[in-house]
Amino acid sequence: MNIEEYISSGILEAYALGELSEKENQEVMAMLEKYPELKAELDQIEEGLERMAFETAVTPPSHVKERLFDETSIAEKPKAKVVTMESEVAASPYWRYIAAASVSLAVISSVLAYNYWTKWQSTETALNTLIAQNERVAEDYNQVNQQLDQIEEDLKVINNTEFTRVAMKGTDNAPNSLAYVYWNTNSQEVFLSVQNLKDLTEENQYQLWAIIDGAPVDAGVFNPGESNLLKMKNITSGAAAFAVTIEPKGGSENPSLETMQVVGEVAQG
Amino acid sequence: MSQQTRKIPQEELVALLIKQDKVAMHYLYDNYSAALYGAILRIVADENVAEEVLNDAFLKIWDKIDTFDAKKGRLFTWMLNLTRNLSIDKLRSKEIKKVKKTDDISDNVYNIERDNLIHQHEDDIGVKELLSKLREEERLVVDLVYFKGFTQSEVSDEYEIPLGTVKTRLRMALKNLRSVLGVKQ
Repeated sequence: MNIEEYISSGILEAYALGELSEKENQEVMAMLEKYPELKAELDQIEEGLERMAFETAVTPPSHVKERLFDETSIAEKPKAKVVTMESEVAASPYWRYIAAASVSLAVISSVLAYNYWTKWQSTETALNTLIAQNERVAEDYNQVNQQLDQIEEDLKVINNTEFTRVAMKGTDNAPNSLAYVYWNTNSQEVFLSVQNLKDLTEENQYQLWAIIDGAPVDAGVFNPGESNLLKMKNITSGAAAFAVTIEPKGGSENPSLETMQVVGEVAQG
Repeated sequence: MSQQTRKIPQEELVALLIKQDKVAMHYLYDNYSAALYGAILRIVADENVAEEVLNDAFLKIWDKIDTFDAKKGRLFTWMLNLTRNLSIDKLRSKEIKKVKKTDDISDNVYNIERDNLIHQHEDDIGVKELLSKLREEERLVVDLVYFKGFTQSEVSDEYEIPLGTVKTRLRMALKNLRSVLGVKQ
């Protein structure tokens, strides 16, 4: 361990300012015990912090001290107060006890009141932090929920036996590309699941085509990077194959066949 | 820095405080309240709130003195950090109330009021003069971390300065201030 490097990392300053986690604190303490020069450096840092605080001190108004020492039990324990009473009040023992008891009671209850007040204050702080956290969690939860809904919708299509799955494999243009079409010949609905298609420039979009009687029929355009099932245009029965081409944004009337990325035949049966 | 008649060594002072010795408690207040109050005031920037925090700080110091561990560092460092934490908690609880309704809570909650504060209290007694000895970039870091109670990571995030750079600057700044203040090197 290079002590110079350790010092110049600024970790001792962070330690002195109380910025480290409990675990890091333990590590620094272990180092301090091992290396006296670290302890010397820390001493300097602490002395500097102390001097800075004194250099920039502001005297608090005197009523702060008065309140601090008068109103709390900290200055004098309840017991001490009772003793003072005894010496000053020349009354019958009976009244002495009553007075002592009531003073004790008053002192004790103000201590309790103050304790509860400070506890209440810190509880309120904690509560506010929790409320903020809670709202954030709720937001995250909503987001996850929406994603889950989408996935459930997708699953309904994928598991529905009325849908025929058509695997469209990569052409020579893009041998690694892959996409699936889910086609319901009864309802004519078409969904698209993109597994792997390359990114496109802003000017281009992908276009899905159904091949019916040897002629391409437009089934809608889509952008790369979609992870959910995409609802495409309905296709009436008779499609023998599906294919995807790259077209100018918005799609074309006729496919640019030389850009074909994936193609797959509908299994007959 | 009004010193009392006699300077009580730290070890003895701590022992007396644990016994709730009244003289020791007065001594502690008389010697350290101004230094701590200055630190609080610069973070919360409101005298009424600062008085409240100072009150709470001393109650907590007296209450928790038995948890102070001289092996970890000086008594003053312990008191200062305890006080700074109370100040920051207080500031946060006020801010959360204010911005609770805004949408992006996670990002705003700790920053809103502080952004105003940075410019508000530059004329704090002594601070300006002390910091004038530093280079601009060191001044910013030490002002935010030491005087305003930011953590170094918060400074790094908000001012888009790499954390390592923040740490180095703070270190150099404190080092330079030590020599200004005449702490033996």
